Amino acid sequence: MSASYRTLVEQRDALAAGEVSSRELVDLSLAAVEAGSRYNALVSTRTEEVLESAAAADQRRASGESLSALDGIPIVIKDNMVEAGQGTTCASRILEGFVSPYDSTVVERLRESGAVVLGCSNMDEFAMGSSTENSIYGPTRNPWDEERSAGGSSGGSAASVALGLATTSLGSDTGGSIRQPASFCGVAGLKPTYGRVSRWGLVAFASSLDQIGPLAHTAADCATVLGVIAGHDRRDSTSLPEAVPDFSAALDGDVSGLRIGIPDEYFEAEGVDPDVLSAVHGGISELEKAGATVRRVSLPHTSYAIASYYLIATAEASSNLARYDGARYGRRSPNAKSLSEMYTLSRSEGFGSEVKRRILLGTFVLSAGYYDAYYRKAQQVRTLLRRDFDRAFEECDLIATPTSPEVAFRLGEKSDDPLKMYLSDIYTVSANLAGIPGISVPCGFVRGLPVGLQLLGRALDESTLLRAADAFQGRTDHHQQDPPGWVG
Amino acid sequence: MIEEVLERYEPVIGLEVHTHLATESKLFSPAPVAYGNAPNHDVHVIDLGLPGVLPVLNERVVELAIRLGLAIHATVNLRSVFARKNYFYPDLPKGYQISQFEDPVVSDGWIDIAVDEGKGAGDPSEGVRRIGITRAHLEEDAGKSIHDDAVTRGKGTHVDLNRSGVPLLEIVSEPDLRSAAEAGAYLRALRSLLRHIGVSEADMEKGQFRCDANVSLRPVGTDPFGTRTELKNLNSFRFVESAIEAEIVRQAELLDEGEAIVQATMAFDPETHRTRVLRVKENSDDYRYFPDPDLIPIEIAAEEVDRVRSNMPELPDVKRHRFIESYGLGEYDARLLTESRSVADFFERVVELRGTSHGKEIANWILRDLLQALKERELEIEESAMTPENLSALLGLVAEGRLTAKSARELFAVLVEDGGEPETLMSERGLEAVSDPGAIEGAVQEAIDGNPKAVESYRDGDAKSLNFLMGQVMKKTQGKANPATVRQLLAQKLDA
Amino acid sequence: MSDLTRDQVAHIAALARLKLSEGEQDAMASDLGQILEYVEKLRELDTSDIEPMAHAIPLATPLRPDRASETLDSELAVSNAPLREGTAFVVPKVIGEEEEG
Repeated sequence: MSASYRTLVEQRDALAAGEVSSRELVDLSLAAVEAGSRYNALVSTRTEEVLESAAAADQRRASGESLSALDGIPIVIKDNMVEAGQGTTCASRILEGFVSPYDSTVVERLRESGAVVLGCSNMDEFAMGSSTENSIYGPTRNPWDEERSAGGSSGGSAASVALGLATTSLGSDTGGSIRQPASFCGVAGLKPTYGRVSRWGLVAFASSLDQIGPLAHTAADCATVLGVIAGHDRRDSTSLPEAVPDFSAALDGDVSGLRIGIPDEYFEAEGVDPDVLSAVHGGISELEKAGATVRRVSLPHTSYAIASYYLIATAEASSNLARYDGARYGRRSPNAKSLSEMYTLSRSEGFGSEVKRRILLGTFVLSAGYYDAYYRKAQQVRTLLRRDFDRAFEECDLIATPTSPEVAFRLGEKSDDPLKMYLSDIYTVSANLAGIPGISVPCGFVRGLPVGLQLLGRALDESTLLRAADAFQGRTDHHQQDPPGWVG
Repeated sequence: MIEEVLERYEPVIGLEVHTHLATESKLFSPAPVAYGNAPNHDVHVIDLGLPGVLPVLNERVVELAIRLGLAIHATVNLRSVFARKNYFYPDLPKGYQISQFEDPVVSDGWIDIAVDEGKGAGDPSEGVRRIGITRAHLEEDAGKSIHDDAVTRGKGTHVDLNRSGVPLLEIVSEPDLRSAAEAGAYLRALRSLLRHIGVSEADMEKGQFRCDANVSLRPVGTDPFGTRTELKNLNSFRFVESAIEAEIVRQAELLDEGEAIVQATMAFDPETHRTRVLRVKENSDDYRYFPDPDLIPIEIAAEEVDRVRSNMPELPDVKRHRFIESYGLGEYDARLLTESRSVADFFERVVELRGTSHGKEIANWILRDLLQALKERELEIEESAMTPENLSALLGLVAEGRLTAKSARELFAVLVEDGGEPETLMSERGLEAVSDPGAIEGAVQEAIDGNPKAVESYRDGDAKSLNFLMGQVMKKTQGKANPATVRQLLAQKLDA
Repeated sequence: MSDLTRDQVAHIAALARLKLSEGEQDAMASDLGQILEYVEKLRELDTSDIEPMAHAIPLATPLRPDRASETLDSELAVSNAPLREGTAFVVPKVIGEEEEG
């Protein structure tokens, strides 16, 4: 058990060659979880279940009945995806003790593929945040610098991969919650097209924006996991009926002739770290060297994206989180003496302050007299943002931008200034508003901290994104650097 | 009291009806729609509002909504939108109800109601009022909160989510109704229509048909509406009319004293026959409606509307006109017959057996005798032992003179109660009319001998005396003598 | 209209069934005020002819056949209940006629 693995492809090949067993992979992961525990990447580990699943996978392999390339390989899910018989908390006190009686579609599909759910990753409460500091479990530390944030809200999923607890993980992305932590932790993270992956069993933050996606060291591993979790689901009315292409087959390393658009507005935005910009420019040059062509495009409404996003996301959240009332599940305040107190005390004691802030903002923008000025206006601007992309994609096949205007910030640095925290989502929220796919891949380091290059694609065209990201990683080694916290 | 009030004030009433749709499964979940089971027996994770669940629309409800839209001559909106109505209540598991707000599935319709009972044939528009229907929209029902101490033993409120997610159409009328009686007539017509077209069983006892009423008053002869109150949960026809009358009286008393009506939700107490304020409506009522992000708009193809139209059962309006035209029925009778599809079907089956020319006679038997008998026994026409075939046979016996009117009624009662073959029953019970002159002659002679005064006045030219003498003969024969034979014999003897 | 008054915060907190301490109310009023001031920039855009976008996918809602195919065992349905009696959820007594839709 001296071998450690950085990628799912390596694990798969080693399993196929008989060099390692699923049991050994699970033991490696459990040992890594133990060794990396101070980073607080996982909030729960399925110690017993993983051993059973691994044994079953080894048995299948022995009898030549492996379910898929993922059979017997540990994977981390975010603590907002439910599994029957398991707890899900969304890092919130209000879901304390909640055990789901049903499976999310992604867990169901992982199980069908034989993948072993290692445990649940830390996150900002109900996925509201960009730093994984808004968690009842405390913040996740960045594997590259434990004084810094792993990003958020899928900080635990990104850190799990960066630390080597598992080769892949699932996150959810409402405004950048997969891509930004991927960028901060130096891993790849993909937000698929809205509707590509079923939301059934994903605890909702903002329903019209939420999307589940994979994190891994490589785009190739993201492609494999996406292939397993993507596809139409009759239980989700917003699930796309389109057939799922073979994402892995698209990874031919060829980007010649690919037109990459560089949106002026993203590179001229205020408050961007110039070193981050130069790392991103360096990344784009790499793609150019590989044969892609680069052109300037315009996304003129970019500076309105954050405002539109926070109005829509909080409005939806204020309604989505109304069900947490202490009546049927989760935590009821022991101090509640009346029905009215059951509501107000359970909710006030159960939600953290960022969640309360967003519920209040969302309640306000939907309330009588403000709906048109705020909520409806934000939806109209959403239309404009969507049109920006439609127009840009007439001139290019992909859009390249920084994932975040900065590298990982210090824990606590922004927690007192919500607006400042919101503004750091400037490059990621537009993809959620428009419903298009985006990926972040490591493209360099600034002061020893990873920088992410974001590629955005047309709706349903994850293949092109993955092909370009994979080709990029074939020419660079940023994703092969081990952080100081590596325990894999 | 009410009559006196109505001389000065005109009530303006609009009704909101919530009706359960006749589906097997819920609006957004595959749990069954069932009644009377143990708490939380008929629930799916969707109905519990668990974290991560999502709604998927039941296709049947769309078809039923189209049906209703066509039946009330409304616009079926080819695009409609589900919205969330946000409020907190223990039996509302998600903290919001999925409903429709700005873009309902059905808008701008109407139904005609009968407002003046007892009117016969004549101008078909006489006794009819057209009531506008503003909209009908789809929404999910909430669960039930059980406050009854007998169940909860005083320990809190129980919440049962079996009803959570049951599909509803909320049908909102224009404020076109002007009296409690009209409100009642509207509800009966609407319920009958819903049943007729198979959209809802609309059983009030099961809570499948619930009504809220908005009531305001204005001085007779003026236009502006007064401030209205909302009467909640009027769950029987009897309540609806008495509650509205009680509220009219309450408002009139306030107005008479120069007090303002406060916008409020009212409850009706059937014991005291009074309405009381449940909750004063405040501007803080803010449901924060917005389009449900989990559900994309419903799109209905025009062809789908055509398909539903071509599969629609004949609407009561159309059927009523056909009954008037084809069978020579009066407007009122035709309306009563077509209020229930099963009654109309029963009628047509008898007509089919007896012939079109007997329409009026058949209608009389059904409306005056059969429905009355069923009402006394609290039976629906389908539950009655009387079949169209039996009624037809019975009428045939009367027409042939083998049953007198009296015997026919006696046999009718047996047929309603126990059923059976009319001719056999007639023989078994010795009800067949006696037509043999020899068998009746004695009774005729006795009548003549015993009533010299009547005989005398008949001979003096008073034709009515013959009827009296006939009555005497019928009495003596226990009503079994064939009246035609009796009349013939009497005339023969008296004129001899 | 970017600044929220304390009363406004109290009002929306009541709508959202959140109880805020006085300190929290002040902090929220200031945070929300700041955020609302920021989103004022949307007013720069003339959106009078622009359709609002509620969904990121251009589809009609899918339909499910009307079949009662699945229920949750009632024991499981109430298994997470903070308080239950038989298979019913139990909440503190509804006093009088509190808000109902």
